[in-house]
Amino acid sequence: MHPTEDFARQLTRRTFLSGAAGTLGGAALGSLLAAQSRQLAAATHGMASGSLGLPHFAPKAKRVLCLFQSEGFSHVDLFDYKSTLAQFHGREMPASVKGDQRLTGMTSGQAAFPVVAPLWPGRRCGAQGTWMSDLLPHMQTIADELCIIKSMHTEAINHDPAITYMNTGNQQPGYASMGAWVSYGLGSANDNLPTFIAMVSQGSGKNPGQPIFSRLWGSGFLPSSHQGVGLRPGANPVLYLQDPPGTTREQRRDMLDDLAQLNHLRARELGDPETLSRINAYEMAFRMQTSVPELTDTSDESPATLASYGPEVAKAGSYAANCLLARRLLERDVRFVQLFHRGWDQHIAIAKQLPNQCKDVDQPTAALIKDLRQRGLLEDTLVVFATEFGRTVFSQGALGDPGMGRDHHGRCFTVWLAGDGVKPGMEYGRTDDFCYNIVENPVHLRDLHATILHCLGIDHARFTYKFRGLDAKLTGVEEAHVVQGILAQP
Amino acid sequence: MHAGAWPRLAGAIALLLMLGFVPVRAAGSQVEYNRDVRPILSENCFACHGFDEASRKADLRLDVAETAAADRGGYAAIVAGDSAASEVWRRVASDDPSEVMPPADSHRALTPEQKSILKQWIDQGATYAKHWAFIPPIKNEPPQVADASWPRNEIDRFVLAKLEAQGLKPSTEASRQMLIRRLSFDMTGLPPSAEEVEAFVADDRPDAYERLVDRFLASPHFGERMALEWLDAARYADTNGFSIDGGRHMWLWRDWVINAFNENIPYDQFLVEQLAGDLLPNRTDAQIIASGFQRNNMVTHEGGTIPEENLANYNADRVKTFGEAVLGLTLGCAQCHDHKYDPLTQREYYQLFAYFNTLSDVGLDGNAGVNPRPFFEAKTVLSANEAPALREQISQLREQLQQPAPAEVEQWIAEQQEALAARGRDLELFPAEVLKVSTPNAGSGFDVEAGRFVIISGAGGLVAYDVALRLPSTDRPITGVRIVFHPDAAAPGGGWGFGSLPTPDLTATADKGTFVVTSFSASAESVTGDQVNLNLLRDVRKATASSWRADYRPEGVLDTGLSGWSPQISHGGPVHLTLTFAEPINAQETPFLTAQVNFGVNAPLVAKRFEFLAVTGEDDGSDLPAEMMAIIEKPASERADYERQALTHYFADHAPATERRRVALANLEERLRVLTEKFPTMVMDEAEQPRETFILERGNYAAPTDKISPGAPAALPPLPADAPANRLGLAQWIVAPNHPLTSRVAVNRCWQMLFGAGILKTTADFGAQGEWPSHPELLDWLAVDFVESGWNVKSLLRKIVTSATYRQTSAANDELLERDPSNRLLARGPRFRLPAEFIRDAVLKSSGLLVDRLGGPSVNPYTPGDLWREISHYGSSPATSQAFMQDHGEKLYRRSLYTYWKRTVPPPNMVAFDAPNRETCTVQRASTTTPLQALVLLNDVQFVEASRALAERMIKAGDNDALRLRWGFEECTSRPPTDEELVILAAALGRERHRYASVHSAAQAYLATGESERNEQLAPVEHAAWSQVAAMMMNLSEAVTRN
Repeated sequence: MHPTEDFARQLTRRTFLSGAAGTLGGAALGSLLAAQSRQLAAATHGMASGSLGLPHFAPKAKRVLCLFQSEGFSHVDLFDYKSTLAQFHGREMPASVKGDQRLTGMTSGQAAFPVVAPLWPGRRCGAQGTWMSDLLPHMQTIADELCIIKSMHTEAINHDPAITYMNTGNQQPGYASMGAWVSYGLGSANDNLPTFIAMVSQGSGKNPGQPIFSRLWGSGFLPSSHQGVGLRPGANPVLYLQDPPGTTREQRRDMLDDLAQLNHLRARELGDPETLSRINAYEMAFRMQTSVPELTDTSDESPATLASYGPEVAKAGSYAANCLLARRLLERDVRFVQLFHRGWDQHIAIAKQLPNQCKDVDQPTAALIKDLRQRGLLEDTLVVFATEFGRTVFSQGALGDPGMGRDHHGRCFTVWLAGDGVKPGMEYGRTDDFCYNIVENPVHLRDLHATILHCLGIDHARFTYKFRGLDAKLTGVEEAHVVQGILAQP
Repeated sequence: MHAGAWPRLAGAIALLLMLGFVPVRAAGSQVEYNRDVRPILSENCFACHGFDEASRKADLRLDVAETAAADRGGYAAIVAGDSAASEVWRRVASDDPSEVMPPADSHRALTPEQKSILKQWIDQGATYAKHWAFIPPIKNEPPQVADASWPRNEIDRFVLAKLEAQGLKPSTEASRQMLIRRLSFDMTGLPPSAEEVEAFVADDRPDAYERLVDRFLASPHFGERMALEWLDAARYADTNGFSIDGGRHMWLWRDWVINAFNENIPYDQFLVEQLAGDLLPNRTDAQIIASGFQRNNMVTHEGGTIPEENLANYNADRVKTFGEAVLGLTLGCAQCHDHKYDPLTQREYYQLFAYFNTLSDVGLDGNAGVNPRPFFEAKTVLSANEAPALREQISQLREQLQQPAPAEVEQWIAEQQEALAARGRDLELFPAEVLKVSTPNAGSGFDVEAGRFVIISGAGGLVAYDVALRLPSTDRPITGVRIVFHPDAAAPGGGWGFGSLPTPDLTATADKGTFVVTSFSASAESVTGDQVNLNLLRDVRKATASSWRADYRPEGVLDTGLSGWSPQISHGGPVHLTLTFAEPINAQETPFLTAQVNFGVNAPLVAKRFEFLAVTGEDDGSDLPAEMMAIIEKPASERADYERQALTHYFADHAPATERRRVALANLEERLRVLTEKFPTMVMDEAEQPRETFILERGNYAAPTDKISPGAPAALPPLPADAPANRLGLAQWIVAPNHPLTSRVAVNRCWQMLFGAGILKTTADFGAQGEWPSHPELLDWLAVDFVESGWNVKSLLRKIVTSATYRQTSAANDELLERDPSNRLLARGPRFRLPAEFIRDAVLKSSGLLVDRLGGPSVNPYTPGDLWREISHYGSSPATSQAFMQDHGEKLYRRSLYTYWKRTVPPPNMVAFDAPNRETCTVQRASTTTPLQALVLLNDVQFVEASRALAERMIKAGDNDALRLRWGFEECTSRPPTDEELVILAAALGRERHRYASVHSAAQAYLATGESERNEQLAPVEHAAWSQVAAMMMNLSEAVTRN
C-alpha cells in the first residue's frame, strides 16, 4: 500500500477515532489529522527515491492478470504454426537450424533429433486469420482479442531457473516477483483485499507437475508486505482467515475495539507511531474476514456465467474456478492477480497429456476474457498468458513411441497479451520454419517485463529499489526495451 | 505526555515516513571526501567513470585523484582548488541537456546541496581518501563530553559527544520493566516471566542490572538467540531449495552454531572453523561439522540441469555469502564484470571463487532425503547431560504405557467389542466405474479393463496412480472405499504385484509377487477430475485390510511416515484394503471420486490388477489381528492370563487412548538418540582432483577464459605470508588483526541486533555504496576493542548493553521524533517489532507450553493444510519433504528456530512476520506491519492454543480477577497494567464471561483448539472467557514489540 494512501486511510478509521475518543473530541482530532494527512500527501511525492510516487505517466491499465502456464507449453503445437513443418516430420533436424546451442541433460545425449510436426490440426481464426490449434477451440473464438508474441526468448532451459527468471527477472533466487514490484510501485487500489493475489491449480496433463515455489510470488528483497497472498478454496481462503472455533464476529469486533484502545494508551505514552499502523492492519484484517468470503462465494454468479467457464468451474481450486475468482478479484480492484497452472511439462506422452492439459485452460481462459470484456474490465486490465519457455520441435524419446514428448526450448516461445495497452488481434515476431530460432522481432522476457510496466504507466528504467548498493530493477541489469510494436495507439 | 501532544506526534510520524536520517554538515565547514563526497560520486558517477574498465565512458575515471586531474588536452576533469576550471563542475552545473552530468538517460540528478558539496570539495582542494572501510580501524580515545555524569562506558562518550554537538540530550534511563524485557529478548529471544520482572524491579543491589546481564549471557538460550542471526546470514534451511526442494540434514551444523555462542568461542575461531574446519590440523568432528557453513547453499537435482552450471551457481552463492556475511562487501557484483563501485576486479572475484571451487560436491545431488555430497556422520556437539534423565523418563513412560489403568483397557475392550459387533452392519459393496488412470511420469504402462479394473503392465520408478472413478448411483451414504487386489498370472509367481519383500524373519524372499500401498488420498466432486483434488481431500478415519504383514499394517497408509500396507504373502486369492471416510460421501451430490494410490517407493512394489468398491454401511474388516479379535470376543471370564496380557500390550501399542503416551515416548527416544548417536551432516572437503577455476565471461559457466589461482583482492591487506593457498589461508586472512572489515562487520551486526539498525545501516555493504556510519569512531573503537578482547562476543555484548546509551528509555518525545525519526543519533533507546521467531516463542513461554530443549532435528508444528503438497512433486519423486506431516507432542512447542524450514514454502506464520525464506544470505530482515500478521496472532492454532494455556496459568496466578489480569498482562508485556488498562481488561473479561455463559458449546469449541491437554477441572465458560482476554493481551502491539 502506498504510504500516503495508507496513512490517509488509517486516519479515517472508525476505531482510530473511537480508540482516541477517551481523550480527545473525535471531530477535533479528525480534522487535525486530516490536515496532517494532506501535508504528508504533499510531501511524499517529493521523496528522494521517487519510486513510490507512481505511475510515472498516464497508465493504460490499472491492473494485471497473469495466467501463468507453468512448465512451458508447446508453442509448436498450439500457436506457432508452420505449414512447412509437416514435410519435415520424422526427418532429422537440419544441423544448420539446431546449431550448437545447449540442450537440457534430458535430450543432449539423444542419438537422433527427428522433427515432430504438430500432432493436432489447427485453423485460422478471427479477422486476422490467427492460427490456433484445435486443442484450443474456445481460445480460437477470442483470437481478435489477443496480441500474440511468437518471438519470446530466455537463456534458461530448465524449470527452476526459467520460471524464476520469468517471474522475478533473475534465474537465481532472492529477487522480487512481478506482482511484488507492481505492488511496491503502485500500491493498493482497494480497501479490503491484498494488493497481489496468487492462486495455484494442478494440471491434468501431468500431475503432479514440476514443483513451483513461493519465491515466484514472493517479495524477494522488497518488504514482505508486497508478497503475493495465496488464495485457496476451503474454509480459509487466505491462511488463518477464519476466527477460532467458538468466536463470533461481534466478539472479535469487541476485542479489536478494546485492543485499539489499549494500544492507543500505550502509543501515546511511548510516542510509538508503529502502533498506529498496527491498529490499521488489524482493521484491514477484520475487513478481509468479510470481504474474502464474499469474494469467494460465487453463488451470485448467473448460471450462464458459470456455464461459460466450463464444468470445472464447480471444482474447487481448478484453473476454471480460479479464472472466475480472478475476474471477481479484478472487479474488486486487486492490483495484480496471478494464476499458476501446473502440468505443461510434456516430456512424456505428449499425445496423451497435452489434450488434457489444454482442456483444463481452454474454455475458462476464453470465458474469462469474454467476461472481462463484457464487464468493461478489459479496458483497464492487462492480461498476460505466459509460460517460462517453449518446447522443442524435435522429439524427446523415439518418434512414434507413445511415450514420446518434447523437451524444453528457451530459444523461442509464445505468450499472449490482451486488454488495455496492447493491440488486439495481432501477432508479433516470427520464428524460423522449425519454430526453433527467432528470425524477426525477438522479445526477451525482460522486454516483456518492461512492456507490462509500461502499460501500467511505469518506466522500467526508473523503477528501482536500492538493494546491496544497486538500484535493483525488475528488468535487471541488462538492457530491456518496451515492445513498441505491440502497444495500442493512444 | 498529555493528550494535547498527540497531533504533534502525528506530525512527527509524517516526518518519520518521509525522511531517512541524513548526517548534517554545517555550511561552510570542511568537506570530507569519505563522508560527504564519495557517496555522491559513487551513486551518480562511478558506474561510468569508476573502477569497472569495461563500462567506463569517455576514458574518464573519477575515483582516483591522478586520473581525475589528468590533462585531457588542455583541460582536466578536476582542477584541485578551482571548480571554475574543472570540467566536472562545468558539466554538473550545466543546464544544457546534452552536456549535463549525470546524463538524462541515467535517470539520475544531483540535488542543489549535492552540487554545492562537489563545488566546495573541488575548491577546498579535491582531496581524495582511501575508502574508510578499507583502512584498518583505529581505537581513538573516546571524545570528551560536557556532561561527564551520563556516560557509563566508552560507547556513551562517542554517542553523547555527537548529541551535544547537535544540542540534544540523551533520554532518561528506561524503567526496570522496560530494561529487563529489552535485555531478556536481546540476550535470549524470550520475554522475562512476570516473576522475573518483579524480582528485578525489587532488586536494589547497585549492580542488579549487571548481574542480570551476566545471568542472561550464561543462559543456554543465549546461543539460540545469537544463532538465529547467523542462520539467516548462513541461509540455513532443512531442504535443498531448488526445484523439487527435497529434505536434507544440517541440524548438526545449526547446533554447532548454538553451542559456539554458548561456549563463547572467539569469533575468529568461529569463522575459521566454519570456513576451513575440515582443513585444520588435528581437526575434530566438531570442526568438520562447522565447515557445513558453506554447504548451506541451495542445490538441485532437477533432471536436465547442467551440472557445471549448477556448480558454478553454488560457488557464486558461497562467494556472495562470504562477502555479505563476513566481509560486508557485495562481492557478487563482480561475478560478471569488475565491481562498479568498489575496487574489486572480476579477476579478484574469481580468486575468491577459487577458494571454494575445490570441494568434491557434484552438480546434481541430494535426492531421496540423502544429503548432497560430501557429508559425514557425527554426534552432536550439544552436551548429552540430559541423557540420564531422558533414560529415566523413558523407562517410566514405558512402564506407564505397559501398565495402563485396568478401567482404560476395559473401556477400550468394550469399544472394540462394539466395533466388532457392528462390523459389516448394513454392508453393501458397489463396484465403482474406473473412468481414467494416470501417473505423472509415464503415458503408458497402465490400462483400464472393462471399466472396472486397473491393470498395470509396466511400473515406473515412481509410482503414484490417480484413478478417476464414478460412484454407483445409490442414495445410501458411501462410507468408504475398498480396493481389491487380484492375483494375476502375469505377476511373478501368480501373485498380486511386481515386487518382493524379504520375510520378516529374513529366512527367505517369497517368489510370489507382492506390493506395498504407502499412501492413499481421495476427493469427491460433482465433476470428474483426472487427479485427486488437493483442496478437497477426504479425511480417512480408519484403514482395515483382509490381511497384513506385521511390519506393514493397514494404518500405515494413513500416515506417510509409516511403511504402508502389504498383505500376508501366505494369503491366497484377492486381498483388500478398506478405507473408511470421516464423513460419508453423498454420491448423488458428488458422484465422482478420484483416488490417488501410492505404491512402495523403490519400485516395483506395485500391484498388478485392482478394482475399487464403494462401501456402504459398516466395513466388515477390523484392524485387529485375528488372535486379538479372538481374545476380545471371548467373555472376560474365559480369558487366560497370557491373553489379558496380550490385550494390555496391544492396547499400549495401538489404542487411541495411549497415543499421547506413545508420541511422548517416541519423542523422548528420538531425543536420546539425537544426543547419543551419529547423524549425517553436510561438510566441506577438498576433492581428490579439485576443479580448476577460470574467469567466467559475464559469469557464464560455459565461457571460461583465464585460469585463476586463489588470492586476496589488492585493495585489502595481503594474505599472511605463510597462509596456504586454500580455504584455511582465506580464513587466516580474514581474521588477521589488521583486516579492516571482519571485526567492523561483526560488531556492526551485533549493534544492529541490539539497536534495530547498525552504526553502518547497510550491514551487508561496507563498500562505496554503503551508507556513511552514524558514529564512525565508535564503530572503529568497538571493532578494535573486539579484536583486543580476543574476539570475545559475550564481552562485546556486555559492553554494549551496559552502556547508558543502550539503557535509555525508548519513549520518544515530539522533538526527538521530529529531529531524528529513525533514531540514528541514539538520543533514546531502541525500539522495534520482535522478529517472527521471538513472537511465537514469547507466546509459548507465557502460556507455559514452551519445551525449551536445545537443538536436534527440526520439527513441524501446526501448519494449515498441506502447503507442501500443493506445490511439490509428491508422488512423483523419492525426494523427502514433499507432503507436510505435522509433528505431535513436545515437538509442537519447541522454539521457532527449530521449525523445519522448507525453502520453497517456509512456515507461513513466520513468513508473515518477515522471516526470510533462507534461499540466500540475509543480514537484515525487513520489519513490516500487515493484516496477515493480525490473522496469524488471532487465528493460528498455535496462538489460539497458547491463549487457553495462558488463561489456565492466569487463573492459577491469583485468587481474584485483578491479580490474575495483572499477572497475565505482565507476562505478555513485562509490566503491570495501569489502572486505566485494567479497567478495559476487566470489562472485556466480564463481557466474555457473559457471552460464554449463554453459549456453553462455544466455550467448549474454543477450548478444543490445539493438542495439549486442558485442565478439565476448570469450568469451560470461565476458562474460555479468560482465554479471550489472554488472546487480547497476546495481540497487544506492545506484546510484539521490544521497547
